[in-house]
Amino acid sequence: MASYQIKKGKNIKLKGKAEKTLVSLDLPKTVALQPVDFKGLKPRLVVKVDDEVKVGTPLITDKNNPDVKCVSSVSGKVIAINRGEKRVLLEVVVEADGRQEKVVFDNINENEISSLNKGKVVSMLKDGGLWPVIRQRPFSKIANPEDKPKSLFVHAMNTEPLAADIDFVLQGKEKEFQAGLDILAKLVETDVHLCFTANSSSKALTDAQNVQKHQFSGPHPAGNVGTHIHYVDPINKGDIVWFVEAQDVVRIAELFLRGTYPSERIVAVTGEKAPKQNYVKTVIGAPLVDIFQGSDLSGARCLSGSVLTGKNVGAKGFLRFYDSQVTAIPEGGNREFLGWLVPGFGKYTFSKTYASAFLPEREASLDTDENGGHRAIVLNHLYDSYVTLDICTYFLLKAIISQDIEESERLGILECDEEDFSLCTFACPSKVNVSGLIRQGLEVIEKEG
Amino acid sequence: MGFFANQSKKIEEKFFAKGKPLEKLYPLFDALDTFLLTPGKTTKKAPHVRDAVDIKRVMIFVVVALIPCIFMGIYNAGYQIQIAKGMEVSLWGAMALGAWKVLPIIIVTYAVGGLWEGLFAIIRKHEINEGFLVTGILFALNLQPTIPLWQVAVGISFGVVIGKEIFGGTGYNVLNPALTARAFVFFAYPAQMSGDSVWVAVDGFSQATPLAVVAAADRGASAVAALEFAGYSFKDVFLGFIPGSIGESSTLACLIGLAFLLITRVASWRVILGCIVGVTTMSLTFSFFQGPESMAFFSLPAHWHMVLGGFAFGAIFMATDPVSSAATNTGRWIYGILIGMLVVLIRMVNPAYPEGVMLAILFMNVFAPTIDHFVVESNVKKRLARVKATKK
Repeated sequence: MASYQIKKGKNIKLKGKAEKTLVSLDLPKTVALQPVDFKGLKPRLVVKVDDEVKVGTPLITDKNNPDVKCVSSVSGKVIAINRGEKRVLLEVVVEADGRQEKVVFDNINENEISSLNKGKVVSMLKDGGLWPVIRQRPFSKIANPEDKPKSLFVHAMNTEPLAADIDFVLQGKEKEFQAGLDILAKLVETDVHLCFTANSSSKALTDAQNVQKHQFSGPHPAGNVGTHIHYVDPINKGDIVWFVEAQDVVRIAELFLRGTYPSERIVAVTGEKAPKQNYVKTVIGAPLVDIFQGSDLSGARCLSGSVLTGKNVGAKGFLRFYDSQVTAIPEGGNREFLGWLVPGFGKYTFSKTYASAFLPEREASLDTDENGGHRAIVLNHLYDSYVTLDICTYFLLKAIISQDIEESERLGILECDEEDFSLCTFACPSKVNVSGLIRQGLEVIEKEG
Repeated sequence: MGFFANQSKKIEEKFFAKGKPLEKLYPLFDALDTFLLTPGKTTKKAPHVRDAVDIKRVMIFVVVALIPCIFMGIYNAGYQIQIAKGMEVSLWGAMALGAWKVLPIIIVTYAVGGLWEGLFAIIRKHEINEGFLVTGILFALNLQPTIPLWQVAVGISFGVVIGKEIFGGTGYNVLNPALTARAFVFFAYPAQMSGDSVWVAVDGFSQATPLAVVAAADRGASAVAALEFAGYSFKDVFLGFIPGSIGESSTLACLIGLAFLLITRVASWRVILGCIVGVTTMSLTFSFFQGPESMAFFSLPAHWHMVLGGFAFGAIFMATDPVSSAATNTGRWIYGILIGMLVVLIRMVNPAYPEGVMLAILFMNVFAPTIDHFVVESNVKKRLARVKATKK
């Protein structure tokens, strides 16, 4: 078991941590599949309004790869198909009938896992609507089954603010987790790396077999899959690495062993504006209103995901496919008189320019205020302290802004993902969207092919 | 929203929004508006939260770090007048005399420079940048108290326009704008910039600065002995009660500012430490090669170099400008060390230049991108070597 001590980065200690109690929610009345969640997939709608669906019925498929399907989490009727600007498919909304009738897929016994081959695993994952859980780096998009990745990473650690505790989430699922790892080993026929936190108490992780285990400690982004890949098997130009979230490893086993689509997910309900702060068991695509278990979300920004990488789906929005956390923080927008001149005992900062930085660290209350005007990059030395990849961030940003693809690749952009730079955006005094620029740079390279 | 925020919104909508009569003057409105009230804008996409620090905070901290130099400079300017005129030395008298000379320089700098900043903001349609708050005071403190005010105006105009705005403004400048302004004034008006009669604001009074004393000393003489003979003890020079540029003479005041900048982590310690290392190694090298016919400068020890000629001020406040210095950690060391070495070299080779620090920093500003290039290339090579290693 290899150990890695990450020195760079910083944890954001936010108010509103989820208590380790698990509540099983009732089935929500409506559930939505959000096609924009699936990066790398060109959605083709395969249902219409009023169609009856079961758990596991495909709602959209990939235009370029029709075997890749995204399926319904509930049985019921399609009641709405919402589009946005330029007819982008935003939501396929299903009204649940409560019966949870399931499509029956192929299934196997535990002892048949060892006789699986790659082709069988791929087809079972595709049929069962779980292929989208296999994503790749670079670009963090859905993996192409034709590719031969150089390794596969199981992402079993999350250091984002208020993230779900993976040890807690995997409790009781040790057997399924191991089965999922074994299936993944058959999928890639190359190294499977299981990366988790150094002080983990989960036997599913510490006693896992058939994988290479790596333990990480240190501040965020030590938990990012990008960090893990960089330290264990870094990406060079032309390399492809696949990755899967820990909860999805369990779901893969459940699909293979039971033959039905596993639509449940454990979600951490977090944030100081969340009426309740706990863990819930619900279905993928559930409405945030249900997940937050309370009615008063006024003045809150409701995110599917964390404050650093989540999406503002709004109080009326739905849980995204890959998220296992929702966060509710106060909306900002208060204009403070001479706010930039005050001592700032209550302000939260990574810098040492407010009095709060010299007090012992407490849980912070953060709102959505940008806290300053947009300026050009001035403090260019800040960024590298929050990036765990061996990247000269300031120079990479300049290459991206000047649209120099070759230079961006030389500087290592293919190792990067937006989420690996979210702390840079957080900490930048010039309010530069560093992570957004990284995403832009990657999009340009993706388009060029 | 509070009362003031509401009023601001009303004024903005009535006069400065798109289509309204004063639309073009929006940057001026915004500058005053965001001076009084934080902007109050919220994030739209991830990351949804942001650090409380902004550029206004960073810049005001640099200005705060300069307050000891400002007060010391005002006092010293007045004190030198009192001494030269044989007047009674008093604290408030010196402050008043000094302020009489120094405040107009500061006011003209901010007024004229601010005018240019505002003009460019309006033409380029971007917000007025706070970087100017620092550039202005750095330029003013770098001048001597006798400088005619019209030269101050011309100098800061050159610095703001040519040193910064034509490149795109704060964040885009290749050279340090305050030093660009200073260099312009230095070369354009040499009579008022150098020589012995410009350092004390008393007509006809001339006194050699410490560097000039060493330059004029006999060959083979001890520099320290020459300085003490001329009445400059290390304590005087360190505390700054000597003629010189307004803010640069007191190393002690600079060090107080340095402590503030280091505690608040606003300045790069690598650049500053590099300068110290550079000065030390170069002066040690020269004293090693000292002979009976060498110039007196050869014998000037490192700690003297560091308190003379505005070295402390330059190393702490000018060399550390993050935009014009090197942008990699390794680069900052090299940049700082080379500045230190160049300062000693320029003082040796051309003692007629009392502004060796300014020139050394400007020279290294030009070379900072080259230094960074090599550091970044080594990062790129590391990545390429990884490819080769895995392909084997």
